[in-house]
Amino acid sequence: MSAILECNSLTKKYASLTALNNINLSLERGRIIGLLGPNGSGKTTLIKLINGLLVPTSGTLKIAGNLPGTATKKVVSYLPEKTYLPDWMKVSETIDFFKDFYEDFDEKKAYEMLDRLHLDPQKRMKTLSKGTKEKVQLILVMSRKADLYCLDEPIGGVDPAARDYILNTIISNYNENATVLISTHLIADIENVLDEVVFIKEGSLMLHASVDDIRTKEGKSIDTLFREVFKC
Amino acid sequence: MLNKLFKHEMKANARFLLPLYLILFVLSLINRVIIGLDIFDGALAIIPRFSIFAYIVSIIAVIVVTFIIMIMRFYKNLLSDEGYLMFTLTVESHQLIISKLLTAAIWIVSSVLAVFASLLLVFANPDSISEIWYQIRLGLTELDVIFKGRTTLLFIELAILAIFGLIHNILMIYLAIAIGHLFNGHKLLGSFVAYVGISMVMQTIISVLAAIVGSIFRESVTNVLSLPNFIFPIGIFTILILIVLYFFATNYIFRNKLNLE
Repeated sequence: MSAILECNSLTKKYASLTALNNINLSLERGRIIGLLGPNGSGKTTLIKLINGLLVPTSGTLKIAGNLPGTATKKVVSYLPEKTYLPDWMKVSETIDFFKDFYEDFDEKKAYEMLDRLHLDPQKRMKTLSKGTKEKVQLILVMSRKADLYCLDEPIGGVDPAARDYILNTIISNYNENATVLISTHLIADIENVLDEVVFIKEGSLMLHASVDDIRTKEGKSIDTLFREVFKC
Repeated sequence: MLNKLFKHEMKANARFLLPLYLILFVLSLINRVIIGLDIFDGALAIIPRFSIFAYIVSIIAVIVVTFIIMIMRFYKNLLSDEGYLMFTLTVESHQLIISKLLTAAIWIVSSVLAVFASLLLVFANPDSISEIWYQIRLGLTELDVIFKGRTTLLFIELAILAIFGLIHNILMIYLAIAIGHLFNGHKLLGSFVAYVGISMVMQTIISVLAAIVGSIFRESVTNVLSLPNFIFPIGIFTILILIVLYFFATNYIFRNKLNLE
């Protein structure tokens, strides 16, 4: 089966800084992949490149064989680290908005998840706490039937109970053809759900391996390995 | 997808402007009644003064809010955190610009019409309306004499100039905001400087162009008929070029230089 994401010599430079340096990476379909690295290592830059919010300085990046553009936006569901929903909208209006712009959006599923987390669809976004806003965003993003989910720090701001529910949601809501790319530094919390990990450090790819391989070959948890690789 | 963007954009603007139009309408009615009553003597004279003051404030509010919303919707919705949503929708970046532009133009025109209608509502009576009609028809006949029957052409050109001028001004603000957004920090100052910069460059170009046209057609420029015959068409053409330029420059920045924080 073809790769969902393919990076060839992908490089992104800002004025004075190389955010990503010559990344060669291929991600298969049907995996849950942790994109791990310390702050400022280039995780968000990679995710922004996947979503067409940045343009590579050199090299290419393809999603299901296409360069980032309207076609790839149809198959990529993106959760940024920002609260990006207009704060004047009601939760129900954000659902209508997603329904209008994403053909793969499943309204019924979104309302079910809201109900499970006891979120009132009639509330306005601005009245919600930061953690609750993040829950709403994650619900919207996971209610799409996408091929690639890019979740940038999806569990940073929510309480541990909601964290478990959200991780469960992620695992149970993606189909076998879809890949979930989760960027985080809260490794211990998500370690159990990951199939693969990608380590990046100062813009360079350090490691791309399956979690089982790491456990059997190195005899270590991902959290331990991460602490070793990124030791300060 | 453009129609969906347009629909949501109209809605996002309406939540500010429709209530304001309603306030303007109510204050117009109140003032009409109060002016008609003419019974406020002595201390009561404060009532008509206050009501006319509130009315003027509401007119200013409609104009100022329309202007601020045009800027805020572009900046906040596309270039602040909401940009993460808008630029990952399954739409092209030029559709985002067009939807914003169309919506802004429509609301500006409706705000002008709303103010105009409210002035009629407050001050017009059968006498003044027939007087206005009379003056308009008189003016038209005089124009017809001056322009030797080319008045229709003149008005078509003026209408096009007005529409293009409006679009040109909105796009110039959009481009200035997009350029300001390229700076890391001081984005507002950057937008302002960009706006002043674009204005100065364009005014220089237009002055030079006007001087060239004036010297080539020295004879005919002094003829009033040159307005509909070639000065307005040249103006329309120039504005059209600027519109295209601003539009593509803004779209280029969105496609290649997006700098969301």
